[in-house]
Amino acid sequence: MDQASDKTSISLTAGGDLFMRYVTRTSAVEYEDFNSAKSRFLERAGKFGEISYKARKIIAMLGQDFISNGCTILVHEGRPDRSGIRFTNELAKLDVPVKLLIDLVVAYSMDEVDMVFVGADGVVESGGIINMMGTYQIALVAKSMDKPVYVAAESYKFARLYPLDQKDMVPALRPVDFGVPIPSKVEVERSARDYTPPQYLTLLFTDLGVLTPSVVSDELIQLYL
Amino acid sequence: MDQRRAPRAVIDPKVRHVGFFTPPQSVATSSPPPSGNSLSPVMIPPPRHLSDVASRTRLADVGSYNPSEFASGEFFEDKSGRVRRSGGNSSSLPAGGGFELVKPKSLTTVSVVSNLTVKGGEQSGESQDGRGAKSKSVKEKTSKAERRALQEAQRAAKAAAKAEGNAGSVPANSANTKTGKPSKAPAQKRDNASIAASEKRGGDRPTDKDRKKDVPHPRMQFDDTTRVEKAKKRAVVKQTEVRNRVELFRHLPQYEHGTRLPDLEKKFFRLNSVHPAVYKVGLRYLGGDISGGNARCIAMLQAFQESIMEYSTPPEKALNRDLTARINSYVSFLIECRPLSISMGNAIKFVKTRIANLPLTLSESEAKANLLSEINHFINEKIILADKVIVRHAVTKVRDGDVLLTYGSSSAVEMILLHAHELNKQFRVVIVDSRPKLEGRLLLRRLVGKGISCTYVNINAVSYVMHEVTRVFLGASSVLANGTVYSRVGTACVAMVANACGIPVIVCCEAYKFHERVQLDSICCNELGDPDAISKVHGREEINYLKDIADNENLQLLNLTYDATPSDYVSMIITDYGMIPPTSVPVIVREFRKEQIWI
Repeated sequence: MDQASDKTSISLTAGGDLFMRYVTRTSAVEYEDFNSAKSRFLERAGKFGEISYKARKIIAMLGQDFISNGCTILVHEGRPDRSGIRFTNELAKLDVPVKLLIDLVVAYSMDEVDMVFVGADGVVESGGIINMMGTYQIALVAKSMDKPVYVAAESYKFARLYPLDQKDMVPALRPVDFGVPIPSKVEVERSARDYTPPQYLTLLFTDLGVLTPSVVSDELIQLYL
Repeated sequence: MDQRRAPRAVIDPKVRHVGFFTPPQSVATSSPPPSGNSLSPVMIPPPRHLSDVASRTRLADVGSYNPSEFASGEFFEDKSGRVRRSGGNSSSLPAGGGFELVKPKSLTTVSVVSNLTVKGGEQSGESQDGRGAKSKSVKEKTSKAERRALQEAQRAAKAAAKAEGNAGSVPANSANTKTGKPSKAPAQKRDNASIAASEKRGGDRPTDKDRKKDVPHPRMQFDDTTRVEKAKKRAVVKQTEVRNRVELFRHLPQYEHGTRLPDLEKKFFRLNSVHPAVYKVGLRYLGGDISGGNARCIAMLQAFQESIMEYSTPPEKALNRDLTARINSYVSFLIECRPLSISMGNAIKFVKTRIANLPLTLSESEAKANLLSEINHFINEKIILADKVIVRHAVTKVRDGDVLLTYGSSSAVEMILLHAHELNKQFRVVIVDSRPKLEGRLLLRRLVGKGISCTYVNINAVSYVMHEVTRVFLGASSVLANGTVYSRVGTACVAMVANACGIPVIVCCEAYKFHERVQLDSICCNELGDPDAISKVHGREEINYLKDIADNENLQLLNLTYDATPSDYVSMIITDYGMIPPTSVPVIVREFRKEQIWI
């Protein structure tokens, strides 16, 4: 599995674990005949893939009910990998009115916003999410201004982690380019992701349905125990 | 003899006496009849005066229970809220004070009879009531005037009783008839006599049954003085009234602990109903030698194991019913020593379910062996192994350079700290302690002995020291269904301060301590400790500033044992099922109670 190569990817690890659980969760493990057991496993593996693929569609369907006419979508730049700009291009192609801001303008423009949508690298046991750096900041601002924060995540991203604070995770670093040379004795924060505690999240859209953060633990217990 | 008719519960003893009673002078004639067969005189409905009753019942009958004492099968509130029936068992033993020539048999908790197959929150007091009525059959000749006088007295008492609303006292008449198995031979004989008596009460029973349906079975509310009086008469452990009672907590059992011990020790050889092992454990609870949820639970289960080992089914009785009845009597005794903790309540439920589910085809020795191994299994899996799993999870949350804070002395937290130290993690510990128990000192001694660097503070300094702390580890007596942590008093303070400083609070609790109850505050359910302990300082006898004003009615001393920490302050709960958020406690209860022993 790819776990060995990319230890920092939470969604990969979580997905892998869940895949293993799903595939082996069948009475086929006790089959005498190896071939029939194997084919059953393959069948379930295929199903898992299908579910994951369809997950996005289901999430989209569930999520769209929450967006009403006249909603404003704000996208921020999303350094360091400029993923926000890619998203803007997609939206522009669909003729959706989009406003692009630099990352720092989030608080300034939170008033004009109706809701916040984020994705997740991983959804942890407490119901919080681990996502690209900056998510926690946006969630904090949104919460203080009473804007709902919605997370779109497939159910294979539910992970058996439980970070207590920002530093309690496996570190994942990314190079940050400031554009100008920095003296070598200056330390640069290069972490690529942060943890958003569940109290800042309103709802999670998953292929299992629209859930509140506390349900994540419920699902994980049922799945793993 | 109709053995299967369980003694009927007495709804209202005064009512029972209508028309058939014997005046107290029959006492002389009835001095200690050897067997319960004797038709002991029924006592006139006693006035509500303890001494008065005592004098009348003095030599009433060895085996007789004064029916008037057991009007209501109230039972003690216990922490689990589940083991309802055990509460009433305080009534199972007669008022120690009154009976000098108590025969061992009479003290057998025949009252326990009523506790068979209790699922409907019945009360235990009933059976005795029924048995007490045995005396009815003795109708000595009394003069007309005397009879008239007695009748008036009864009517008055009846009116008083009705006013007091004996709803809660409705003993499970129905339940008793259902169970119908007197536990011991003497009891049987007494029962027979009482059957006749109970017929006469038939008229009253329907009304009480109706009352029972209307009113949910209350736990013993200690602010109802009449009930408290009755319970006290029945109690084995002699309780003395506490001065300086706090009004807000009057619904909880108020006892002065110190005085009970010598009294109980004296009774040791007379209490045949309580197995010596259980008795020992009860004494140790009373003296405070065993404290802490796990320790108490394990001690109790081991005492039960011993008693089961030495148990033999009386003839013509079913093992499971008789044994359940016996366990109930032990539980009521333990409650008198110290109210049950939630962990103990859950363990008792487990034992009783196991006994009830024993296949009937097993022989006695097989059944006993089965039970013993089940209890062993429970202890090993739910407590010892659970602790190991908790430690394993928790040490992943301890990093080098951490400053860990803990409160009081929790066995789970201690194990975590010791294990983390063994793994050579670099951390130091801050132990917060509080009077009057000062349990943190024990933990401090053990940790320092192992070489862990510790800081010891009193709880007043917790906000001062909290800024240096990185993690808070707390133990729990129980975690309730809404995520509230029910733990030693002071825990809520520590958790709140930690939350205010943004420090994660980790609660370590084995899953068998979880409970479906929901508690919003620390008042409705708690345990009161010795109020004098607050005013005294251990080791400094000369410090007792309150001794002059102790009797002032404006002064109320309150020594709470537990408090409830809201789930908002708790970041994570570590159990043997892993690390879960406080909102998932009912999930664990739901998923795992089903699949296990509770079935």
